[in-house]
Amino acid sequence: MTTSTTTTSPPAPAGPPPRVVVAEKLTWKQRLFRAEEKGAPYAYIAPFFLLFLAFGLFPLVYTAWISLYEQKLGSSTSTFVGLDNYRWLFENEKFWNSLWRTLTIGVLSTVPQLIFALVLAHALNYRMRGRNFFRISMIMPYATSVAAATLVFAQIFGRDAGFANWVLSFFGVDAIDWRNGDWTAQLAIAVIVTWRWTGYNALIYLAGMQSISQDLYESASLDGANRWQQFWHITLPGLRPTILFTVVVSTIGATQLFAEPLLFGGGTANGGALNQYQTVTLFMYQQGWTFGFLGRAAAIAWVTFLIIILLVAVNTSIARMRDRDPAQAAARRARRAAAKGTR
Amino acid sequence: MSLEKKTLAGAAALVSGALLLTSCSSAGADTESSGTTADGKTVISVALFGTMGFEESGLFDRYEELNPDIEIQYESTQGESKYWPALQTKLQSGTGLADVQGIEVARIADVVANQSDKWADLSQFETADQVPNYLEWKADAATTADGKVLALGTDIGPMGICYRSDLLEQAGLPTDPAELATAMTDWDAYLDLGRQYQAAAPAGSAWTDFSGGLYNAIVSTEETIYYDESGEPVWDTNPAVREAFDTAAEAGQEGLTAKLEQFNDPNWDPGFASGAFATIACPSWMIGYIKGKAGDAGSGLWNVTSLPGGAGGNWGGSYLAIPEASENKEEAAKLIKWMTDAEQQAEVFTNVGNFPSNTQGIELVGDTTDEYFQGAPIGQIFSDSAQAAPTQILGEGDGVIKTALTQALLSVEANGVSPDEAWANAESEISNQIG
Amino acid sequence: MATTTAVQQASIAAPMPEGRKRRYRAPDQAGPFTYVLLAVTAFLFIVPFYYMIVAGSRPMAEMNRTPPPWLPGPDLWSNMVKAFQQQNIGLAVWNSFLVSAAITVATLLFCTLAGFAFAKLRFKGRSTFFGITIATLMIPPTLGVVPLYMVMADLQLTGNLWSVILPTMVTAFGVFFMRQYLVQTLPDELLEAARMDGATSTRTFFSIVLPIARPGMAVLGMLTFMTAWNEFFWPVIALNSSNPTVQVALNNLGSGYVPDQSVIMAGTLVGTLPVIVVFLIMGRQIVNGIMAGAVKG
Repeated sequence: MTTSTTTTSPPAPAGPPPRVVVAEKLTWKQRLFRAEEKGAPYAYIAPFFLLFLAFGLFPLVYTAWISLYEQKLGSSTSTFVGLDNYRWLFENEKFWNSLWRTLTIGVLSTVPQLIFALVLAHALNYRMRGRNFFRISMIMPYATSVAAATLVFAQIFGRDAGFANWVLSFFGVDAIDWRNGDWTAQLAIAVIVTWRWTGYNALIYLAGMQSISQDLYESASLDGANRWQQFWHITLPGLRPTILFTVVVSTIGATQLFAEPLLFGGGTANGGALNQYQTVTLFMYQQGWTFGFLGRAAAIAWVTFLIIILLVAVNTSIARMRDRDPAQAAARRARRAAAKGTR
Repeated sequence: MSLEKKTLAGAAALVSGALLLTSCSSAGADTESSGTTADGKTVISVALFGTMGFEESGLFDRYEELNPDIEIQYESTQGESKYWPALQTKLQSGTGLADVQGIEVARIADVVANQSDKWADLSQFETADQVPNYLEWKADAATTADGKVLALGTDIGPMGICYRSDLLEQAGLPTDPAELATAMTDWDAYLDLGRQYQAAAPAGSAWTDFSGGLYNAIVSTEETIYYDESGEPVWDTNPAVREAFDTAAEAGQEGLTAKLEQFNDPNWDPGFASGAFATIACPSWMIGYIKGKAGDAGSGLWNVTSLPGGAGGNWGGSYLAIPEASENKEEAAKLIKWMTDAEQQAEVFTNVGNFPSNTQGIELVGDTTDEYFQGAPIGQIFSDSAQAAPTQILGEGDGVIKTALTQALLSVEANGVSPDEAWANAESEISNQIG
Repeated sequence: MATTTAVQQASIAAPMPEGRKRRYRAPDQAGPFTYVLLAVTAFLFIVPFYYMIVAGSRPMAEMNRTPPPWLPGPDLWSNMVKAFQQQNIGLAVWNSFLVSAAITVATLLFCTLAGFAFAKLRFKGRSTFFGITIATLMIPPTLGVVPLYMVMADLQLTGNLWSVILPTMVTAFGVFFMRQYLVQTLPDELLEAARMDGATSTRTFFSIVLPIARPGMAVLGMLTFMTAWNEFFWPVIALNSSNPTVQVALNNLGSGYVPDQSVIMAGTLVGTLPVIVVFLIMGRQIVNGIMAGAVKG
């Protein structure tokens, strides 16, 4: 079994063969043992790296190459066009529109989502009855697929008989044409995203809260800080790495928003008559698979990639700058706050 | 050997075994080209879009009865605007194609111009006999310059206006088809009726569903639409297109439309039953669609009359074709031939309203009436329209241009964009894709 | 490729086996306000599922009334049958099961192997390789989709389940997750003892590492399975309606031409049901898994 496993996993990338030292006079068995020991780590990590090379790195590099060609879906020929696809892209207002919509929908969905998640996490952190029920209900949306969630919400946000409009009618709001409106469509999509991810992020925050040292709270409460002060001065600073992380991940997630706007629009990649909810990924899909311009789609992918790299770099440098030993800083602040509180 | 090892190895073996099984069996089933069933039947796969009426009329079952060694696998995918891109990806890879694929008339010029190597030449098969039976333009549109016949026609889309007589009655408008036809001398008169309707209409009901639909109906009466005879795009200078656009935009701006984008807005389908709109421009294939969406409860509520001024027109219609990649071309061609025979086309018309493009088929359906539509003489209405319709010039970009202009109209009626601005947007969108 | 958000979202840091730190004690008893807040939220999070059931069990016309009906109707079963007939939902569920299971098994094996190597084995370039692994987390998989599609088309794999399985057989997050888990749970002495007994590393891996890694693998397995089941973007591009996964079938349902919305909702319910069942049985473990995966190690 052991040997068969080693042979099924790809061979180690050039692990240096054991140097043959004459003096020791190793038996064959020992030599094999040594070789196995040296080679094994490489064999273990090889699947990951081979798969990443094949399905991660190679496509990414190849994307750059394709973006220099005019490549039509359905035809087997391609013509080299240099940077034409990029020129086309930067002159195309629909591209800028899609970037802008990605940003607005991203903000509309991420900000309330994370704030709400924080509040929920705080609430979940109390001792209570039905703890498990509440926690499980938090991630039911996360377990639902985007497609299923969007199909349900598309009906809920229906203009003529939608549930949302029916509820709003009690507040004297006239029927809203969610799908065709500009901000309303974005809002509806943001609601879907928020619905799916809030509970999940709440659990992440909750885990983060529980990993903050109890001593901080104890000393703070000894110093007379109330719950709110503790939340503000210990919990929040202690959660900062977690929050930053969720911000980065949500940012990356927002740049790739696709299924929600696609299905909300009834399966067309327009993102509305004004392209009011056409995100950049949807734009890429439309160019590539609705219109058949694979070269343009590749150019869009590369530009988006660079934008993401930029965003992540900015995010992490902010994190590096401000995130120096948060626990100690938090403790310091808590003491200060407590001192203020008692005064 | 530990327990985990066994479980893991077992699970891995199970899954890979199952995968191998399905990839073997589905290699036949999903490329569907070379398939034969276990009992030795030849499998012909058919992929269509929308309601083309063959399955709905039980024709595939009958063909299987007539040809016991044939098994038909049928699927209908989505709206045409989603079907077509998916078909392109399959053509690109040569996999996942059915033996028989449907093609919409707005795409046929593109197929003839750019994809003649991807589709089988039907003049080489039994289907050759069928070609002379067609309306001339229908057959010509699918024939390349060097005489290859890439597709055979199923239906054409002669035009009428479908309306809810109960809603018209409530608004005090004429409900008799003939009376209504007399009142609608031209499209402006149609809009005037709409204004009267809107003034007295039940709450939440509009004169027509969508300005894009209205637009398509208006241009359907034209001979030259988006391209001229030499194959040059003329849509942006063709006054007929701009006038139709402006008329439709006017209806949208005045609130005569229900702002329901056809085929894409999830509220459009329920609208047939709920009375969100009182009239709809009605190519013959819409007959079956209305029956499906309005359901049994809608029987007797709808009626049909001719286009304003009794004009003839054509909107849509389809073809059947065989991909070059198919390995069952002979059998697929026999099936297509049978599906497009006069009797079958007539039967489809009776069941779902798709109007024959086979001249003998047209003769067969002249007397058809439809109980669902209050016994309306749909055979005669659509025959007259087909007769009076000009022979439209088709172009490669028809589908793209049509989609862009309908989108622009949606932005006028739903988002208050001015018609000029919407037109300009459509222009840049179109030049982006075909310019 | 793929396995995007869900697993990456969990990737905040290492799993922490219980009992490493002092056991966490929740601060205070919740007040009424907290209960109300949580109850309302739970209601909002669950109500769309209920809506699915109601809308899937009644004729479209009834759902279009105001107010909408509150209780499920009698048509759920017949609508589900229709959904099965019209969009291959049965095949889709089976395909999704195959794809998700294959991805999960492969991910668990490869990630545990690599995680073990990074956690406990000494070899040249270890930190560099590990650094690269982490860096790959930042590459959004959607972006390589054009060439991936072209390559799969060239290999005649589009429309085939392998096109969806192959790119997702391992994730950087999984490697990271298992590494952190093993760093904390696998005692060095155990490995040393095995080595003394003359066990090869491969043997050690199967007889010592795997049993210890099992709880971590269970968590990773559940997350991977769920993510694979819900994967949308790439399957929609790579597969087509004749051989769909659940998400591809749902995309077709949502793209029109299915006669009525009740069938769409019934189909959605069928596609979601397996996940809901898993949840009802293992909800607690999943919650704990996500939280364990989230704790900063």
